[in-house]
Amino acid sequence: MPAYKAPLRDMRYVLYDVMGGDDLTSLPGYEDFTRDTLDAVLEEAAKICEQVLQPLNRSGDEEGCAYENGVVRTPKGFKQAYDTFRDGGWTSIACDPAFGGQGVPAALNTLVEEMICSANLSFGMYPGLSHGAYVALHGYGSDELKQAYLPKLVDGTWSGTMCLTEPHCGTDLGLMRTKAVPQEDGSYKITGTKTFISAGEHDLTENIVHLVLAKIPGGPKGIKGVSLFLVPKFLPDAEGRPGPRNGVRCGSIEHKMGIKASATCVMNFDDAQGWLIGQPHKGMQAMFAMMNAERLAVGVQGLGLAESAYQGAVTYAKERLQGRSLSGVKNPDKPADPLIVHPDIRRMLLTQRAYIEGGRALAIWAAKALDTAKKHPDPAERSKAEDFIAIVTPVIKAFLTDTGYEATNLGVQVFGGHGYIRDHGMEQFIRDGRIAQIYEGANGIQALDLVGRKMPAHAGRYLRTVFHPISDYIEANKSNADLADLIGPLGKAFGRLQQATLHVARVGMARPDEAGAAASDYLRLFGLTTLAYLWARMAEVSLPQADDPFHKAKVLTARFYMERLLPQTGALLSTILAGGKTMMAFEEAAF
Amino acid sequence: MAINKVAVIGAGVMGAGIAAQVANAGVPVVLLDIVPAGAENRNAVAEGAVAKMLKTEPAPFMSKAAAKLVTTGNIEDHLELLRDCDWIVEVVVEKLDVKQALYKKIDAHRKPEAIVSSNTSTIPLEKLVEGMPQNFAEKFVITHFFNPPRYMRLLELVTSANNSADTIKSITDFCDYKLGKGVVVCKDRPGFIANRLGVYWLQSAVVLAFEHKLDVEEADALIGKPLGIPKTGVFGLLDLIGLDLMPHINASMASALPSLDAFHGMNKPLPLVERMIKDGYTGRKGKGGFYRLNRDKGKLKETIDLATGDFRAQRKAKVEAIDEAGKDLKKLLTHDSAHGRYAWDVVRKTLTYAAALVGDAADDIFSIDEAMRLGYAWKWGPFELLDKIGPDWFVARLAEEGGLVPPILQAAKGKTFYRIDDGKRQALTLSGDYVTLERPEGVLLLADIKLTQKPVLKNASASVWDIGDGVLCFEFTSMMNSLDADIVMLLNQTVQLVQKSYKALVVYNEGANFTVGANLGLALFAANVAAWGEIEQLVGLGQFAYKGLKYAPFPVVSAPSGMALGGGCEILLHSDAIQAHAESYIGLVEVGVGLIPGWGGCKELLARWQANPKMPKGPMPAVAQVFEYISTARVAKSAAEARDMLILREGDGITMNRNRLLFDAKAKALKLVANYQPPQSPVYRLPGPSGKLALKMAVDGFAKIGKATRHDIVVSDALANILTGGDTEYFNELSEDKILELERQNFMKLVRNPDSLARIEHMLETGKPLRN
Repeated sequence: MPAYKAPLRDMRYVLYDVMGGDDLTSLPGYEDFTRDTLDAVLEEAAKICEQVLQPLNRSGDEEGCAYENGVVRTPKGFKQAYDTFRDGGWTSIACDPAFGGQGVPAALNTLVEEMICSANLSFGMYPGLSHGAYVALHGYGSDELKQAYLPKLVDGTWSGTMCLTEPHCGTDLGLMRTKAVPQEDGSYKITGTKTFISAGEHDLTENIVHLVLAKIPGGPKGIKGVSLFLVPKFLPDAEGRPGPRNGVRCGSIEHKMGIKASATCVMNFDDAQGWLIGQPHKGMQAMFAMMNAERLAVGVQGLGLAESAYQGAVTYAKERLQGRSLSGVKNPDKPADPLIVHPDIRRMLLTQRAYIEGGRALAIWAAKALDTAKKHPDPAERSKAEDFIAIVTPVIKAFLTDTGYEATNLGVQVFGGHGYIRDHGMEQFIRDGRIAQIYEGANGIQALDLVGRKMPAHAGRYLRTVFHPISDYIEANKSNADLADLIGPLGKAFGRLQQATLHVARVGMARPDEAGAAASDYLRLFGLTTLAYLWARMAEVSLPQADDPFHKAKVLTARFYMERLLPQTGALLSTILAGGKTMMAFEEAAF
Repeated sequence: MAINKVAVIGAGVMGAGIAAQVANAGVPVVLLDIVPAGAENRNAVAEGAVAKMLKTEPAPFMSKAAAKLVTTGNIEDHLELLRDCDWIVEVVVEKLDVKQALYKKIDAHRKPEAIVSSNTSTIPLEKLVEGMPQNFAEKFVITHFFNPPRYMRLLELVTSANNSADTIKSITDFCDYKLGKGVVVCKDRPGFIANRLGVYWLQSAVVLAFEHKLDVEEADALIGKPLGIPKTGVFGLLDLIGLDLMPHINASMASALPSLDAFHGMNKPLPLVERMIKDGYTGRKGKGGFYRLNRDKGKLKETIDLATGDFRAQRKAKVEAIDEAGKDLKKLLTHDSAHGRYAWDVVRKTLTYAAALVGDAADDIFSIDEAMRLGYAWKWGPFELLDKIGPDWFVARLAEEGGLVPPILQAAKGKTFYRIDDGKRQALTLSGDYVTLERPEGVLLLADIKLTQKPVLKNASASVWDIGDGVLCFEFTSMMNSLDADIVMLLNQTVQLVQKSYKALVVYNEGANFTVGANLGLALFAANVAAWGEIEQLVGLGQFAYKGLKYAPFPVVSAPSGMALGGGCEILLHSDAIQAHAESYIGLVEVGVGLIPGWGGCKELLARWQANPKMPKGPMPAVAQVFEYISTARVAKSAAEARDMLILREGDGITMNRNRLLFDAKAKALKLVANYQPPQSPVYRLPGPSGKLALKMAVDGFAKIGKATRHDIVVSDALANILTGGDTEYFNELSEDKILELERQNFMKLVRNPDSLARIEHMLETGKPLRN
């Protein structure tokens, strides 16, 4: 099992030096989040992740969850770890102080989430899902429901789930069958089966609060007739403590590729009592409030796993002696040179690193926008931040999980056969990370969201929040000799992105299949170009301090990114311009 | 006989409006009304009507000059004024005795050749001339206008056997050429064509909405857009007309129509409507109608519930039948729902009634279709609708349900009502044969040309047609005729082609608007993705193409109708001549979206005003005038007003009848062909920074009194930069390319401004300017 050390210096670098995190205190409500406070939280988070969560990652994977007669047992040590996690206040850090939360900025919380994902993604699923439920309930629930449930979700004594998927419908929720029949007391009786419910049943908390999508009979057809309900495992008694068992049970758990310590449940609702959250038939609205936050969080999962894989690979590449350098012996005293002398090993390590550090900058850029959207006094600034979040959410979700997958895969490759066997834990990262490309909207759906919804919205207004900063940056720095080797490639990639955007917008309007055919490649082009901009900015920050090896490494990684990764944009543009004619001309029977 | 002077007697809304339209045609008109009891000013009624019209929106007059052509007076003191009038229109109250008494006075004062007409909508011609001398009857016709007379294109003409061919031709030609009306000849039957069918249709749709238990919104959604009927639908239209008028109209129809007419079956009492009228809910002119704004609830839009009679919040109609049917009318009419059954019931009754009018109210189907298109703004007349539905299917279902099948529907068996034969449109007749629809002399339509030709050039946004005699016609075909790179590119190609093989070019189309300007959606998208290079290139391409039009070695005539805004106005400004439809609304409106004219609009309007001999000399007057027009996005509300703004120049023409516009434009182009010389390029002397300062002070003044917004100041500054010549002085001579460069620079500066982008977005999404 590779050791995990939280990359605190990198995190601080992105938060303060690149994204100007010190100005968070200027937002109303964030006055106390000075650098000292933020640093203290980061350090404490690093401790619990390194010392409590990470040691359970391998054992949890080996043991998995156990199901017996409706009861789910998490792997050994998880309950204890959860208690420590909860007692440390980690379930509440990103929650509203009005309900007992600590209300930390999203920019900080995102870094904490990254550490949790690096250390033990399976474990992170339990508080992660609770937080999703918290967001939807906080945004749309009645005061009564909020008072009854939010404090428990926030302090972690209860956990939450999101019950969307049914056996026959995942992406297309309009096909949903679970029904909710109104009762005289204002509650609903909910009946149906939900699958793939993370943390649907487990032994970590005394109660579980399910947020369930269901249809009220007689409502509008399809997605417009879906409502959101709160269904607790135990109905709270008069004191608000878990009372009688509600009609919801776990029917089985899934046996799956990764995140084995996270219980993925089939949940059967049988006349379970539930309460409406928000307006009837407006369930998707509340669901999307949660979903957008979750999509950003899933992107961070890809990032966190990539970081762990990178750390493992670097350690191994330095320790493992094998063969000799192509340019002559580097380690004459030893029988062989370390792997790290080899260009191809460096290619892999730097690829991981460039995606990770660039991806982290993107995640924090978005997280800071979340803070602006939530707290900024100027409505114009808030709405600009919302535009930005809208456009980068699908990019972060898909691009960070795709590059995260590539990075974990490279981690195994650096290890060779030792990566493929289980003992070193490198293959687990691939397996654990693979789901992040699928759930919360598969990456293909993210690409469609980007191209079909976000791009054309308000004649491209969301795009402005990314394209204008990049364009302005290129213009402002085009004669900056120090940055010339970065601005040149950035400008070229940006030109390709602009061309692809205008092209996709034009052909997509007339022929939606063309937009669909371009979507995934376009999203990657978008992600690569955005990272190039962030790398240029990081290089700009680090260049003046380049005698410090930390900063020197940033500048070199920026160059590596521009020279070795960014050229993919050329191929992507060609692919996009080639269009989808050939794919669509293929007869279905010929497949 | 030519009609050179007109009298209108009766200065109510219709009479005054008719007088205004005559004046709009440049023809002097006398407007008389009664002397009000005890009035100090004996002309108060007619004078008041003119004064009121000068404040009415939409304006009855096309220009202030037109208003001066109206001579007001009263029928006691001024009947002598009729003496030299060639046409006298009576527009008084619908009472036979009042009208006939007036006719006697008119007859005593008119010259023998003068034509007399009534604007009656209900009294038969036969009755009107009863007891009048033969020579009066010979000159008497009915000319039935629609309200408002300036804007509604239908004129129903009823003649009699007493009229000579010359009389009929004189009045037809005047109404057609001068008043711009589509003259539809009707038989002397109650309600003529449009109101006969229109009233039946409205009444049926209302009665059936109660019977089928539909919401007002649902009925309007069904009997609206899907059928090519304006989106006001039925109830919305009644709110416009006035609910209180309906009982009168219905009663007069009921008394005039024969007892077997289907109208009687639909003329049922509607207690709710009666109560609404009693309570003052007479429509938009009253407290509201079927729809109202509830001011007690913060201008909440409300609708009356037909079942309970109470107002409730307006709701968007959810009509699955419409969503599922799409453009398939048959699917809509067979939809198994209350909505589908209602739509069928209304359509069945209306179209059957229309069919029964052939041979009764009109001789032919085309007149009926034309009357409904022009009088009720239906996109398709009833027989065009029947062709869409399928006449055989319609008749089969009608017969199946036991309905009577009128003769023209029987004649349509296995046929369609219209067909194209050898490039000519033909219409079905009662005999089952077809008759070719001939256009009147002087009517040239692209729609007809398209029946037999393919475009000479074409791309996604424009087409070029050969309209004969060596003249090409450039037609915008893009969405809403918005201007884009494709149009600019095809303009360049067209200039090449005309130069090689043709004599002249006309820029014209048959859309609702000539063009509302550049495609803002594309522009905004390009700006949002920071495609500055592409945008600047498009600005440059447009400048190049428009300049190409201006200096091409052949005449270019632009012929706008409807709106010609922004880049559309700029095309006009670069043409050798303009032949404008009278109803053209032209202006440089770019500031409304935070931009300035960038395709040469500034330089051309400036050149026109600098060349205007009536302008005081000196550096500022022309600049200040153009600055005022562009900075306030001033739109001429008629071709006549555009002439006042010097958008139209001397020699530019105005066509009153929409259908004659292309013919007139082509004639103008051909006239210019002989000895054609491209224009000299203008030289500008502009005031520079000192002039800019003066304009800035004016804008600051407006800002202080709250008339200019924060971003207005920014946009005005860019405009002032261009119009004052940038960094120049009055003694320097600037070329037009220099002004174009200033336009380009300042346009690019503004298009990068987020406040301008917010204006564009707001305009795209709401259709209204954002005042940020």
